[in-house]
Amino acid sequence: MILKKALSVCAPVLAVLAVQAAGLAAGLPPASRWAPEDAALVVEVSEPMALLEPLLSPDLAKAMTALSTNQESTLKLQQLQGIVAYLELQLGTDWRAGLRALLGGGFAFALEPGGGTLLSVDARDEKMLRQLEETVRQSAVGQASAQGRAGQVASRQYRDATLWSLATNEAHAVVDNRLLLANGPATLERALDLRLEPDGKCVASAPLYQAARQAVGRDARAMVFLNMQKLRLVAKVKEALAGDANPLGALLLADTREALCQANWLALGVYLDEGKLVLKTFTDGQAPAGAKTVAFANPLNAGEGLLPPLEVTGRIACLSLHRDLREFYAAKDELFPERTSGLVFFENMMGIFFSGIELTEGVLGETWPDIRVVVAAQRYDAAIGTPAAQMPAFAAVLRLRHPQAFGEIVEEAWQKAVGLANFTRGQQALPGLIIDRASHGGVKYTLSYFRPPGDKNTAAIDGRYNYRPSLARPGDYLILSSTDGLAQDLIDAVQKEAASPPTPSQAAHSTLEIDGARLHAILLANREEFIRKNMVEKGGSREQAETETGFLMAAVGCLDRAVLTLARQNAHPQATLELKLKMPDGKPEKTTAMK
Amino acid sequence: MRDQAQIDGRAARLQNRNGDPSWAWAPYRPDAERPWTLELAAHLYRRAALGANWGELQQALADGPEAAVGKLLHPKPETTAFNQAFDAYENAATGSDGGVPAWWLRRLIQTPDPVLEQMTLLWHNHFAITNARVNNPAMMCRYVHLLRRHALGRFDTLLESLLDEPAVLVCLGARANRKARPNLDFARALMERFTLGPGQFSDQDVQGAARALTGWFVSQDEARYIPREHDSAPKKFLGHEGDFDRKDLLRLLLEQPATAPFLVRKVYRWFVSETVSPPDALLAPLAADFAKDFDAGRLLETVLRSNLFFSSCRQRIKSPVLYAVSLIRGLEATVGTARLASDLADLGQDLFQPPTLKGWAGGQCWINRFTLLGRARLAEDLLAGSGPYGARLDPSAIASKYGQSAPEAASRLLLNLFLDGSLPEETRQALLAAQARGPDQGPEPLRRFAALLAALPESHLA
Repeated sequence: MILKKALSVCAPVLAVLAVQAAGLAAGLPPASRWAPEDAALVVEVSEPMALLEPLLSPDLAKAMTALSTNQESTLKLQQLQGIVAYLELQLGTDWRAGLRALLGGGFAFALEPGGGTLLSVDARDEKMLRQLEETVRQSAVGQASAQGRAGQVASRQYRDATLWSLATNEAHAVVDNRLLLANGPATLERALDLRLEPDGKCVASAPLYQAARQAVGRDARAMVFLNMQKLRLVAKVKEALAGDANPLGALLLADTREALCQANWLALGVYLDEGKLVLKTFTDGQAPAGAKTVAFANPLNAGEGLLPPLEVTGRIACLSLHRDLREFYAAKDELFPERTSGLVFFENMMGIFFSGIELTEGVLGETWPDIRVVVAAQRYDAAIGTPAAQMPAFAAVLRLRHPQAFGEIVEEAWQKAVGLANFTRGQQALPGLIIDRASHGGVKYTLSYFRPPGDKNTAAIDGRYNYRPSLARPGDYLILSSTDGLAQDLIDAVQKEAASPPTPSQAAHSTLEIDGARLHAILLANREEFIRKNMVEKGGSREQAETETGFLMAAVGCLDRAVLTLARQNAHPQATLELKLKMPDGKPEKTTAMK
Repeated sequence: MRDQAQIDGRAARLQNRNGDPSWAWAPYRPDAERPWTLELAAHLYRRAALGANWGELQQALADGPEAAVGKLLHPKPETTAFNQAFDAYENAATGSDGGVPAWWLRRLIQTPDPVLEQMTLLWHNHFAITNARVNNPAMMCRYVHLLRRHALGRFDTLLESLLDEPAVLVCLGARANRKARPNLDFARALMERFTLGPGQFSDQDVQGAARALTGWFVSQDEARYIPREHDSAPKKFLGHEGDFDRKDLLRLLLEQPATAPFLVRKVYRWFVSETVSPPDALLAPLAADFAKDFDAGRLLETVLRSNLFFSSCRQRIKSPVLYAVSLIRGLEATVGTARLASDLADLGQDLFQPPTLKGWAGGQCWINRFTLLGRARLAEDLLAGSGPYGARLDPSAIASKYGQSAPEAASRLLLNLFLDGSLPEETRQALLAAQARGPDQGPEPLRRFAALLAALPESHLA
C-alpha cells in the first residue's frame, strides 16, 4: 500500500518534471541518448525547478488543503501527507528540499511504439536518490511479504547495473545519479545497452529528433517530441487525422490538420519569458502547395492580415481570425466533402433570410476577411433582474465591402431571423422578442429584448434575459451581438479603431486572448450550476461536487492571461500559447447555498 | 431454505383464503405457518420502499411487520428538509428537459421517505401527464411536486388541485377551454382515467362535464379562470341536472359508486399483484372505506399491513426505475442520475414521458428479449469497477460494512440482500459454490457475482 501510494506521489511529479539531463553529475550524457531510436514520444524538460518552483509555494499547499472540503478528499489528503511525512523522515529532509534535490537535474520520458516506457530522473543528490530507492524497495518487500508474495521483489545484474523489479510491470535501476524506471525489464535493458554503446541507435541520433531539437532551440526549458511517422500507425491517431472534417474545424484550424497528416515530426517547446510560460509547436509538415486550406486563411494582398483583438469593458475573450469566407465556402467540397449535403438546409435558410441572394458570392463575398468574436461579462439591468444561470455576452464583428448597399440587406436578414425565432417561440407559448431601434455614439442600431418578467424575485429570473440580440453597422463594420450592452461597447471600440486603423499582421492568421480573472468570475457566478451538474452527472454528494468544482475554479483562477496564436512559419503551421499564471491566494471560494 | 412440498401446500392454502376479504385485509400477524422472515421483510421494502439495504432488512426483521410498516409510513424528521432541498434542485434544473428527471431519480435513490415516492410514482402513472405534450419542464416539475404534496393525503384534494395545474390542462388539450367550444378530451380523461374508469358514463355525460369545466385557460404558464368563458347554463351529468361548475363536477364524480373501486384497484395493482385481477367482492371493503374520505394514506396502510399483501411475494415485475433504484439503494450508494435517466428511458421508462395517456402498462410489458438484455447490461454497468457509473456501487464495501468480508460470507450476504428467500436452496448452493470456485477473490469477482444475481429472473420480480 505504501509503495503504491509512494509511487503515486512520485510519478505525477516526475511526469510533470520531464527534464533534460544536462550531464550534471558524473559526466552522464543526456537521457535522450539512452532512449530508443524509434521512440514515438519523448518528453524532456531542462531546468525543471524553473517550472516546478511555483508549485512548491506554501500558498498553493494552503489552497489545495482549503479545497479539500469533503471527507473523502480530506482522507486522501491526509494519506498523502502521511506518506510525505514518512519519506521526509526516511530521507532526513523536508519535501520541498527533497524534490529539489531529487529532481533538480531533470528527467526525460520516452514511449516506444510497442508500449514500452522509460523514465530517467537525474538527481542533484545521488545519495538521497539511492536512499529513496531503497526506502521504496524495502516498503515493497514488506508489502509483498504481507500479501504472501515474497518473491515478487527481485533483482539481477545486467551489464554493470543492478536491475530491480517490484512488480510485474515495473523495472528500475540507479546508475550514478540517474534513476531509470521502465514498465518492463526489456525496455530497461535497452536503455542500459545504449548507455554502454555511445554510438548505439538512440533517439538523440535520429534525424527527425535532431531536426525537432534544432527547431525548438536550446533555450527551451522543456521539449516534447512526437514521431508522427510512428504515431500515425496508432489507430486512434490515424482516425483523428483522417476523420470526417467538419466546417467549423476546417474554418478554425485552416491548414493545421493537413500539415499534421504530412508531418514526419511534431515538437512542442516550453519556454519561460518574463514570467510567462510560452508553449510553441514546430513541425516539418505543411499543406500541399495550392491547398484550399491555405488559401482562405492567408493574406493575399498587401494591407490585409490579422487585426488585433478588440478591447471592451469586461472582456473575457476575443478571437481574431483572418478568413476569407468566400474562398472558404467556395472550397467546401474539398474542405469538408462529407458534410456538404447537410448544408442544403443551411443554404435554404440563408436564401430565405437574404432574399434569394447567392450565399457564396452575394453574401459571404461581401465581407472582408477579418472576423472577430468577442466574449464579455454582462451587465444586467437591476430593474429587470439577474438570470439564475448567467451567460456571458458574445458578438461577432465583421467588415463589409459595400456597407451602404449590403448593410440594409443584412439588417433585413437579421430581422427575419428574429421574426422566425419569435414565431417558433410563439408556437410553444413562449414569450418573444420585441424589436426596437436605439442610438449610441451617433450610430443607430437595432436591438431586440424580452419584455420584463412579472416575477418580483429579481435574483434568479429566466435564462432568456441573458439575451438582447442586437445588430449595429458603424461605418463599414457589422456587429452581431447577443446583447445591446456589448453592441454599444463594440461600437465605441470599432469607432476608435477606425479613427486610428491598426496595421494588420501578416505573421499570424488566428489569435485568441483570454482574460483569466474575468473567466474565473463568470465561472464563479455560475458555481452553483456547476455543482448541481456535477452531482447529477457523477452521483457524488454535494460536498464532493463542491470540492471538484472548487478545484476547477482554482485551476482557472491560476490563469491571469492566455494568448494563443496560429501562424505559418515558412509554410509550416505553428501554434504559440502564452500563459501568464498566478498562484491562488489560499482563500476558499465563496459558497452560495441553495435557498 | 424452502422445501418445495411445503411451498406448494402453503400456496394452496393461501389460494383458498385469498378470496376472503375479511382475511385478505386483516392485518398480517406472524404465526408458525407464516413466520416473519427475511423474505417478507424484503418484500415489504421492495413494494413499498423502493428496495432496502441490509441494515434496513435486519432492522425490519427485528421490528416485526407491524413496527416495520409503521416506520415506513411515518416520515423521518429529516424528510421535510430533504424534500425542500430537492424541490429547489429540481426547480433550478428546469432549464433543460433532462435535468428534472435526473434529480427526481436522485431523490428516489436518497429519499428518507420512499413510501411517499412510491405513491408519487403511482399517481404519476395514474394521471399520466407527459412532457411530450406539455413540452415545459418547469410545468412538469410543478405538477410532480403537487403529486408529492398530496400523494398520501386525500385524493379529492389532489384531484381538485390538479385541475388547476397548467401541465394537466396543456397535456389534455385544455389550454383554452371556452364555452363556445368545450374540450371533450379533458372531460373524458377526467372521468375515464382519473375517476370512474371506462364504461361508466355516456357521451351526454362527457358533454355535460366538458361544459362544467369551461372557463379555464393556461396563459403565461399559469391557469386562469375567465368567468365569461364559463358555460353557466344547466347541464345534465350522471343523472343529475343543474348549473354545475368544476367543484360540483368533482363532487358528483367522487360520489359515484364506481370511483372508489376504480382507484382502489389501481392501488391493488401497484402494491399487491398485477398478475391476478381481483374480484370486486375482494376490493369492496377497501373501496367502501376509501369512499368515506378518499384518504390515500389510510388505504395504503390497510394494504401494507394486510395478509394479502404479505402473501403476494414476487407477483409484480419491477419497472425499470424500481429495478435500478432498488439495486442502488440496496448497495447504499448514489450514481450519476443524468446517465441513469437516459438508460432507463431506453428500457421503456422515461419518468417525464409516460408512453400513453394510460401511463405505463407495466407488468409483462416491461419485459421482452431486448429489455431483459438491457437490464442485464445496466446492472453490469452499475456494478462495474469502472465505466459510466464510476464504480460507485461497491458490493465489497457493503460486505465489509456488515462484517462479511470473507469471500463466501460476502457472496451469501449479496444473495440474501438481492434475493432473500426467493431461490430454491439448491440454486442458492449452486451459485455460492460456483462463486467460491472462481479463479480469484477480491472486489471484482464480487461485482460480477452481484451482476449475475441482478440478471436472474427473480431479480426482476418485486
